[in-house]
Amino acid sequence: MGFKIGLDLGSTAIKMVLVKGDKVEWSRLVATAPGQEALALDLVKGALTERGLGDGDIENIAATGYGKKLMTSAGHTVDEISANATGLFKLSSGRCRTIINIGGQDLKVINLTEKGKVADFKMNDKCAAGTGRFFEQAARILDTPLESFGEMSKLADEPLELNSTCVVFAESEIVSLLAKGVPKERIIKGLHHSVARRVANLLGRHKVPNDGDIYLDGGPSQNVGLLEALEDELLMEVKVLPNPQYTVAFGAAISGY
Amino acid sequence: MPESSREERQRKITGQRFFGEIEQEALRLKERDDYLPEFNYFLDLLIEGQDPTILAQRTGRPVAALMCLQAPLEIFHACGIQPFKIYGGSQVATRLSSPLLPPVMCPMLRSALGTLMLGAKEGLPFKIFVAPTTCDWVVKLDELLSLCSINSPCPIHRLELPHLKDRPESQERWLEEIYGLTKFLLAEMGIKKLRPQDLRKSMDIYQKAWKLYSRLMDLKREGLISFSWFLVVANSFFYADVEEWTEKLKILVAAFKTNGKAPRGPKVFVAGSPMFFPNLKMARVIEAAGLVVVMDDLCSSERLFPGAVFYDDYSLHGLIKALAQRYHQGCLCPTFADNDRRVNNIIAPAHKKLYKGVIFHVLKGCHPFDLESLSLEARLKDEGLKFLKLETDYTAEDSQTLLTRLEAFRSALTDD
Repeated sequence: MGFKIGLDLGSTAIKMVLVKGDKVEWSRLVATAPGQEALALDLVKGALTERGLGDGDIENIAATGYGKKLMTSAGHTVDEISANATGLFKLSSGRCRTIINIGGQDLKVINLTEKGKVADFKMNDKCAAGTGRFFEQAARILDTPLESFGEMSKLADEPLELNSTCVVFAESEIVSLLAKGVPKERIIKGLHHSVARRVANLLGRHKVPNDGDIYLDGGPSQNVGLLEALEDELLMEVKVLPNPQYTVAFGAAISGY
Repeated sequence: MPESSREERQRKITGQRFFGEIEQEALRLKERDDYLPEFNYFLDLLIEGQDPTILAQRTGRPVAALMCLQAPLEIFHACGIQPFKIYGGSQVATRLSSPLLPPVMCPMLRSALGTLMLGAKEGLPFKIFVAPTTCDWVVKLDELLSLCSINSPCPIHRLELPHLKDRPESQERWLEEIYGLTKFLLAEMGIKKLRPQDLRKSMDIYQKAWKLYSRLMDLKREGLISFSWFLVVANSFFYADVEEWTEKLKILVAAFKTNGKAPRGPKVFVAGSPMFFPNLKMARVIEAAGLVVVMDDLCSSERLFPGAVFYDDYSLHGLIKALAQRYHQGCLCPTFADNDRRVNNIIAPAHKKLYKGVIFHVLKGCHPFDLESLSLEARLKDEGLKFLKLETDYTAEDSQTLLTRLEAFRSALTDD
């Protein structure tokens, strides 16, 4: 006993953490595909094997994310907004007051109380503009690995003004810019700024309290170019913790404890 | 294939799917744990009563189509006319109207126009059409009907709604409008004069219905009747004779006293755009998230009746004036410019701890509610209340993301 498992069944990846106390002992992710529960259970099995643990060592399995209801073997489920708040508040040692979460198909801004509970939140509606899916699409059109986006955007002096964060319209805009010979670095920097503006709009007039910090998490938060663009647009420091793609799974694991 | 026969075929297919959509929602409701046989009457009205021809046969009165709720129903009743509020809850029906209308438009009106198009070939089955000038979409009703090629053989009577309802000049102007409506209805029915005793009788009938409806609202306050079923009862109101509907409501309320089971979960207030059968998506998702709707201010639900009509002048003028006042000053439609009462109506119950948070429902393209949500959110947060705005349309594809937000909202309310 003593180990807790958190599973975040998202739209593009299933993330798992193995937690002891408040410490992440093991984490891994797998791309989302049909048969989500089987994929998640494979992750669990892998974790137990690697750590030499048995079923009896697991205190609870908590599931979150869009696919949480598919995890019939989960001990409990947590909505992903609350799990995100719980996880980041704990990992930031209580400093976090606002979370910007960029997921595979959604964009969330979550404001926290000083006790780490959800005060309020905003989320994009059923459009994937400015989400992880948008970056994936851009990487395909630019024929550039997503992992290089951060470093490449640093090479551009000025971002290009892009009109759209729409997954569909951005394609024609990027293709047209490439045809005009605009360097990829400028386009990528422009992409980061257009997403950052979208986040700023979602954040609205919300003020982050002086005694708290604003954090970015979710898969795209590992992109340093996006982080810089966000700081430019919001005119404030935005923090990113190590392994930001696992925050929600971690929050689910420790929820209710 | 000639254009006319293609259109006819499309209308026929949509009509079949339209009834399929209605039956599917009715079946879903009947499979719920909180179903009671006493709901059947109201559900049947929604299944078959949306056809004005059937309604005219059932009530023995000519049917008047109504946009919005500012025209006093009692005057229609006293003139021997059955009011029929134009709603639209069908997603299927929008397939007929959408290609002809602006892409971003109130889904309810888009659906209502699509539903009218289903029977448009024969012309609208109404004796008259009455439309107060509320939101921009309703103001443009003539153009919208024309865009959808809905031929209206019946006259359309406009009520110019003064949007500053607290001004004495506005109230006088509205009284004139109601007098104009009364004259119009009498002329259409070939009645020389409206007798005060007839109007009073109609007012008593509607007051009785409202009082009983208030008891149903009390059951909702206690969480005994679910939001979905409350909407079914409310939505059916315009598809029946008011006295018959009241009798059936009496039976339903009595049944709840013995059978009602209170669901558990944080209590919420639902404000914003109307919800109408068969599009009960939002009610269903709210309930699936474990939230209990105990109050609402939707014009398709709790705002169906304007409330008690007070009068001490029993003359025809006194009665018409009392009705005009109640339907104007008592109206909580967001299209009014001076609307503190509307905001207070939402905030005041929270002070009595009747609910924990507000869910604000905005149908995409419903601008008055969308605009209002911004200032209301600030007001509610100043009061320390939780607020969640949900923007949606009639498609089902966003149910999962709506559920995610509602589950998080529930957690936030539970943490408080």
